Amino acid sequence: MVVTPVSHRQPSAALPRFALVLLRTLVAWHFLYEGYYKAMLPAWSGAGDPLGPWSAASYLAAASGPLAGLFHTLGSPPLASTIDTLVIIALIAVGLSLMLGLFTQAGCGVALALLTLFYLAHIPLAGVLEAGAEGAYLLVNKTLVEWAAVVTLWTQHTGRIAGLDCLIAREIRGTHDQPPGHERLAEGAAL
Amino acid sequence: MTLTDEERRRGRRNFLKALAGVPPLAAFGAAAVLDGPSRGGPVKAGFIGPGRQGKVLLGQCRREFIDLRAICDINPRNRAEAAEGLVKLGWPRPTLYEDWREMLAKEDIEAVLIATPLWTHAEMATGALASGRHVLVEKMMAYDLEGCARMAEEARTRRLVLEIGYNRFYAPHYQAAYDHVIQAGVIGDIFHVRLMYHRKQSWRRTSAPPSPDYSPARWGYPTWDHLVNWRLYRQYSQGLVAELGGHQIGTTCQFLGSAPTHALGSGGTYRFTDREVNDHVYVILEHPKGRTVTFSSIESNDFDHITEQFMGTKGTLVIGSEGEVMLFTDTDSTTPTGIEVTRKDGNAVLDASESRVADARGRPAAQPGAAGTGGEDRLLPYRLEIATFCSAIRTGTPLRCGVERAAQITATCVAANKAIETRTHVPVATLT
Repeated sequence: MVVTPVSHRQPSAALPRFALVLLRTLVAWHFLYEGYYKAMLPAWSGAGDPLGPWSAASYLAAASGPLAGLFHTLGSPPLASTIDTLVIIALIAVGLSLMLGLFTQAGCGVALALLTLFYLAHIPLAGVLEAGAEGAYLLVNKTLVEWAAVVTLWTQHTGRIAGLDCLIAREIRGTHDQPPGHERLAEGAAL
Repeated sequence: MTLTDEERRRGRRNFLKALAGVPPLAAFGAAAVLDGPSRGGPVKAGFIGPGRQGKVLLGQCRREFIDLRAICDINPRNRAEAAEGLVKLGWPRPTLYEDWREMLAKEDIEAVLIATPLWTHAEMATGALASGRHVLVEKMMAYDLEGCARMAEEARTRRLVLEIGYNRFYAPHYQAAYDHVIQAGVIGDIFHVRLMYHRKQSWRRTSAPPSPDYSPARWGYPTWDHLVNWRLYRQYSQGLVAELGGHQIGTTCQFLGSAPTHALGSGGTYRFTDREVNDHVYVILEHPKGRTVTFSSIESNDFDHITEQFMGTKGTLVIGSEGEVMLFTDTDSTTPTGIEVTRKDGNAVLDASESRVADARGRPAAQPGAAGTGGEDRLLPYRLEIATFCSAIRTGTPLRCGVERAAQITATCVAANKAIETRTHVPVATLT
């Protein structure tokens, strides 16, 4: 028997896989709640305070940077209400996709598209604490960090680690791998 | 199908992996339901009675919590003025009604705000509750305890929100005094409370009818004067004790943590004999454990104006003009209370109120230099009252006055009036 020294052991594959699924779940929760919250508005907080209706219009109207003109157009009538609806649907769809590990790669793709737009609309160039922000950012903000996290999830195909994509992949694999007449043979075996 | 133990284990593992996202999703759902926002925008409401007091309430409605869709008043001038006031503040023009029943039948509303003469409260509130609408009704709750009982029963059985407009329960300075002075025991045990609502004015209002041929007779007011001066007629009003003293009696019940058991009284129409209700009233209210409250409301002298004095074994708390809070203890003279009121934002349709017309010497509240009017938002309690009412409908936020307190105040006012009338020792009833 060959004993590998402790210091030379390969890390268990389970831990990074678990970490990836955990990361996917956290990102999913973030997207899902953002979408759920916006979809609920106008509403009331648990403390009994009224919460007004939501619209991306003010966020888009305040956009700066090279694509500012495009964002201003998106945030103005007649597109604004359509954009609001699409953003809510997209956030919820991404959240459910990543949470359940269903069509995970597509979910990551939509998430990356959204995060890219969010980042480009407000690229942090000031480098100082700005109104409404909870920290001082220069080029890198939490949107960009989350974007990088989703890139990681996308490259690692986390739906195959855990999630409903496993079932889909197995179903496809099973259909492709089974020889002709497999179903009949299986039925015979069961009998 | 025969499977090995290893195959069974692998099958179970695969199944669990596939469903790994379900527990987080369930956790998300639970968390969102428990701590997420409650669905529903501003409460769709109708308003009955935008007269003088009604306009004060109307002016404190905000679009983030209430969606005023309809206005009802038997006086066409009130209806038109209220609608214009709302439009000026940026509201959509409300639908106008003369008959509150028609408004309830036609409008898609969830709640009704009522600021009509006292004698109509029970009928309108029970009617609105019976139609499935939540109700915020101005004080007093009803003309008598029977009316209170009907309102309370209707709200209870239909599980609807019923709040009564004793806005002092929403006044930050009153509640700060209660929390930080009374509850903290700063003035010790209170054995005596003096309540004064003194004014040097007639209480009679002079206002022309909306048109020469206008008659409110079909609404139960034989003449225009019966409508515009309803407070002066016993059929419609419980007089000074109810209309003015009710606020102070309510505050006292809260601060003492008890309701009065008996009332003694005196009073009459001594200065202004043009009315049915008394223009001078003097009441003694006996609370348990020997605590005694005196209340006087006179129309011949405005010294002390609106004042409450809570006299404890360690000090005295004085609240004047519904806003100025002073604390006197045995060890020092005047102690600043540190109680402040937020600034005024000037959005009211009409900054006037039955209980906020003047300071301790009768100067109008809006006059520069009037005590306790240094820019405070004196209408904030009304706004908080309406906002909390809407919040209670949507999220179950607790009401600060509520049916029980309001009914107790009604019982006390009714007993006090009976004591004044009969010059006897009258027990205060309780709502069963």
